[in-house]
Amino acid sequence: MMRVSWLPMAMGVLISLAFGTVLVLSWQLRGELRTLQEEPVDSLNWNVTQLELDVVRLESAMSLAVALPGASLTEVRKRFDLFFNRAGTVTQGTMFAQLGLLETVRPLKARMQDFLDRTTPLIDGPDANLRASLPQIVASIGALRQDMRFMSIQVIDMNAALQDIRRAGLADILQMIAIASVALIALLLVLLALVLGLNRQAVRRAQEVQRITSRLEATVGTSLDGVVVAGMDGLVIDFNAAAERIFGYTRAEAVGQSLGALIVPARHRAAHEAGMERMQATGVKHVVDAGRIRISALRKSGEEFPVELSIASNEGPEGMIFIAYLRDISDAQQAEAALVAARDEAQTAEATKTNFIAVMSHEMRTPLNGVIAALEIIGRTGLDAKQTRFLGLARNSSKQLLRHVNDVLDISRIDAGFVAVTEDRLDLPALLATLVDPMRPTASQKDTQVELRLLSDFPPLMGDPFRLGQILQNFISNAIKFTDGGTITIEAEVQMITGDQAEIEFRVIDTGIGIAEADQVRIFDDFVMVDPSYGRTGEGTGLGLAISRRLARAMEGEVGVESASGAGSCFWLRLPLSMAGDVAKARPAPLAEVLQPKSAPPANTAPALDVLVVEDNETNRIVLEEMLRHLGHRTTLAADGGEGVILARARRFDVILMDLSMPLMDGWTAADLIRKEGASAQSSIIAVTAHARPDQMDRFAESGLDSWLAKPLSARDLATALASDRAIRTPAEVAPQLAGKAAPLLDTERLEELATIADPQALGRLLAKFCAQMDSILDRIDAGALTEPMADLASMCHEAAGAAGVIGAMRLNQRLAGMEVACHASDRAVILMGQSDLRHIWRETCKALVQRA
Amino acid sequence: MWTSSLFIRNAVLGASLVLASAVVSAPALAETMPAPSGEVILTVSGAIGTTNGDGVLAFDSDLFATLPQHSFKTGTIWTDGTATYTGVLLRDVLAAAGATGATVKLTALNDYQIRMPAADALGDGPLLANLSDGQRMPLREKGPIWLIYPYDTVAAYRTEQTYARSIWQLNQIEVAD
Repeated sequence: MMRVSWLPMAMGVLISLAFGTVLVLSWQLRGELRTLQEEPVDSLNWNVTQLELDVVRLESAMSLAVALPGASLTEVRKRFDLFFNRAGTVTQGTMFAQLGLLETVRPLKARMQDFLDRTTPLIDGPDANLRASLPQIVASIGALRQDMRFMSIQVIDMNAALQDIRRAGLADILQMIAIASVALIALLLVLLALVLGLNRQAVRRAQEVQRITSRLEATVGTSLDGVVVAGMDGLVIDFNAAAERIFGYTRAEAVGQSLGALIVPARHRAAHEAGMERMQATGVKHVVDAGRIRISALRKSGEEFPVELSIASNEGPEGMIFIAYLRDISDAQQAEAALVAARDEAQTAEATKTNFIAVMSHEMRTPLNGVIAALEIIGRTGLDAKQTRFLGLARNSSKQLLRHVNDVLDISRIDAGFVAVTEDRLDLPALLATLVDPMRPTASQKDTQVELRLLSDFPPLMGDPFRLGQILQNFISNAIKFTDGGTITIEAEVQMITGDQAEIEFRVIDTGIGIAEADQVRIFDDFVMVDPSYGRTGEGTGLGLAISRRLARAMEGEVGVESASGAGSCFWLRLPLSMAGDVAKARPAPLAEVLQPKSAPPANTAPALDVLVVEDNETNRIVLEEMLRHLGHRTTLAADGGEGVILARARRFDVILMDLSMPLMDGWTAADLIRKEGASAQSSIIAVTAHARPDQMDRFAESGLDSWLAKPLSARDLATALASDRAIRTPAEVAPQLAGKAAPLLDTERLEELATIADPQALGRLLAKFCAQMDSILDRIDAGALTEPMADLASMCHEAAGAAGVIGAMRLNQRLAGMEVACHASDRAVILMGQSDLRHIWRETCKALVQRA
Repeated sequence: MWTSSLFIRNAVLGASLVLASAVVSAPALAETMPAPSGEVILTVSGAIGTTNGDGVLAFDSDLFATLPQHSFKTGTIWTDGTATYTGVLLRDVLAAAGATGATVKLTALNDYQIRMPAADALGDGPLLANLSDGQRMPLREKGPIWLIYPYDTVAAYRTEQTYARSIWQLNQIEVAD
C-alpha cells in the first residue's frame, strides 16, 4: 500500500515538471519563431544587392552622357535620385538595427554618405557644371562601386553568421522540447501503467467486497432470528427473511420506514422516540449493546407479541447503524407462563397446606390447653382409684397430643421464619446435666443406663440454651425409645476454636436397634418414622428430627447420624458458638435479623423470658404471642384466669401478662391466686387493660399486680415493660364518647406495627380471625341489645372493643367503648343509638382493611 | 469534368463580383474620369472599365487627390522613426478604374515589380501613400507613390511577403485576368 501512496505523487510531480518544461520551451520557441518571421532578412539582402545595381545603372547613365555631350541629363538625374533613395533606405532604415548589424553596416553608410555629400550639389546644379564634372563623378563612382561590393558582402556574411547562430538556438529549443516531450510521454505511460495496476487492484477488491457482501447477505438472510438494521434516524435499512416472517412486512415495505411506526406498539412509541432522540442528542444508549431484553413488538396485522431482542451498534460508512436481532418468543413465553402458573399453583397449594397445618395446630392447641387445665382441676377434687387412673391416661394422652401439636406448629413456625435464636450465656455442663437428669428415670424403666461425658473443658459460650436443649432432648428421648437394656452415652466436645468461635460437637450414642443405612438419609425428613411397627407403640409424629435439623440450621449448625442396623446409633449435633468475652457481645441471631423490619423496635437483647399470657380474647392472644416471639421470649398461653392460675402454679414464669377483664375469673382474682401459692408466686405480673378508670387504679395498689399496660399494646411498650419489669404506662386519656368527632376508621400506625412483627401470612390469619370473631360478637350484640342484661351486654361490648383496638379499627373501637360505658350507666337508649350504625362502621372497616391488604 | 468547369466558373464569377461590388460603391467616378492636366504620377492599365487616355487611367496629383483619402501612422524598416502616411487605398484606386481582373501587377520607376491576387489588393491594409506627414514624397524619399501597410498596428503585416510587396516609387498598375 505504501508503494501506491507515494508513487502517484512522485509521478505527478515529474509529469508536472516535464509539462512545465515543454510549456516554457514552447513559449520560448513561439517568441523565437515570431522574431524569425518578422525579421527583414530577405529585404536586407535585396536592398544591399540592389544598392550595387543602382550604382552600376547610375555609372552607365553617366558614361553615356559623357559619350553623348548633346544628350539630355534627365536620365542621369533620375538614376542619381533612385540611387539616393536606395542609399537612404540603407542608411536610415531600422532593418540593420533589428538584425543587430548596425556596427557592420557603419563603414558602408559612411562611404555612401561621403559620395552623396560630394555629388548631390553637382547633380542639383546647372547642366553645364554637371556635364563638366561628369568624368570626375564617373571615376569616383567606380571607386565607390568597388568599396560597396566589398562592404555589402561583409554585411551579407555577417548576417548569414547571425542567422546561423539563431537557427542553432532554435534547434536547441526544439531539441529540448523533443526531449521534454519524450520524457513527458514516458512518464505518462508509466502513470498509465500505474493507473491500470490500481484499477486492477480496485476491481479485485470490489470483487472481494462483493463476495463478502453476498456471503453476509446469505448469512443474514438465512438467519432464524429476525435481523432489522436501522440508521441513527430510526429508518429501516435492512430487513431479512426471518424478520419478514415474524413481522409480516416484506423487505420492500419495511426499508426506508420508521422503525417506531413499523414494529413498536403504539403505547411504547413515545418512549421509543424519546429514546432515539436522547441517543441522537447525547449518544447515551440504554437498550443498545445492553444484551438480551424482552419487549413487546407489533406485527403488520396489528397483533402485539413478545420478542427477545438484542441490539448491537456499529459505526458504518454512513454513520452509526443499529442491528437488532429479534426472536418471536410468544410460544416460549406462553410455555413459560404456563410453567410459572403451575409452579405458583404448587407453591400456593403448599403454602395453603402449611398455613392450614399452622392454623389447625394453633386451633387444636387452645382447646387442648383447656382440656389439660380442666384435667388438672379435676385432679384436685377427690377421685377414686379408677378415676385417678383414667385421669392419668387422659392427662398423658392430652399432653402427648399437645406435644404433637406443638411439633407441627414448631415446624410451620420455623418454616415461616418465626424462630428467634437467642444469645445467652451458656453453662454447657450445667445445661447438659439439667437436660439429662430428668431423662434417667424413663431410661431406667427400660433398664438403660444414661452416661454424660464431657470430653473437653468448655470456655464460657453464648447460645440459645432452649433450642440447643430441644435438639438434645429429642436425640436422647429417641435413644431411650429405641434402646432396651443398653447404654446411652451423651458426649460433648470442643472440636475447634477459630477466633472467638468455638465449634462444639454433641453426640448421643445408644446401643439400641440402630438404623439401616438406606433409612439414615431420610430420617431427618418430615413425618418419617423408620419402623412403623415400632412407631405404633412408640411415641412421635416423626417430626422430632425434622425440627432438630431445622433448629440446628437456624443456629448455623448441623445434625447427622452414624448407625448400623442392630448396632446402635450415634446422633450428633455440631454447633458454632461464639465465646463469651469479658463484654458479653450478643451474636445477632440471623433469623431474628432477617425478620427484623427496618422500622421495628430494636430486638430484645435481654435474656429470653418465660412469659405466660393470660387473655380471653383470641386475637389479642395471637398478637401478644407474636410480639413476644418477635422479642425473643418463650410464650405460654392461657385463655382465661383459671387456666392462667393453673399454669402459673405448675411452673415458674418470669413474667405473667394478665388481662383484667375476663369471663369466669377476671385478672384481679387470678393475680391474687397466683400470688398466694405455686411456682410463679414471686413472678412479676403485668396487667393488660383497655380500661383507664381511677377507681381501678386505687384497687391496683392492693392487688397482686406489679405494673400495667394499656391496650392496644405496642411492641415497643411491651419490650420496655419486660425490660424494666416496672414500667407503668399511664393509659391514654381516652374518654370514650358516642357523640363528638368520629375517630379515623383505621389506626394506620397500629396496622404498620402489626405488619412489622408478623409476616403477611400470620397477619392474614390474624385478620381473618378478627373478622370472624367480630361478626359473631356483633350478631350477639344485635340479638341482645334490647333483652340482654346490662352486665352481659357490657362484657360483649368490652370484648369487641378490645379486639377492634388490637387490630387498629379505631372508629369501631370508639363506638363499642362508648356503648360499654352506656351499659355501665344502664342507658339503653344510648346503646340502641350506638348499635344502629354499628354494622355500617364494621362494613366500612372491613372494606378499608381489604383495601390495605 | 462538368463539376470541375463549374467550380472554375464559379471562382471567376466570385472574384469578378467582388470587384464589381467595389465599383458600384463609387458610382460617381465610374466611366467619367477627366484626363490629367499635370505630370502623371500613376497609370492604371489592363482589365479596367474606366479610362481617361489611351486605354489607361492616368492620375496626376490633383486627380489622385479626388479619390477617397486615408491615412495612418506607422514606422517602417526602411525609415527612421514614425510618420503619418496619407493617400488612397489600393482597392479604391482599383474601384475607380473599374478593375475586373484577378491579379494586380505593380511596377516601380526602378523597374521593381510585384504581383498580388486581387483578393489581397482589396484588403484594408495596402495604401498608395503620396504624402508623408502631409508633405509630397520626392523621388529621393520613395515618392511619388509608396505602397505601404500599417506594420506597427497589424502584426500580420510584419512578414517578408508584405515587406516585398511594399513597393516604392510606384508609377504603374496593371490589372490582369
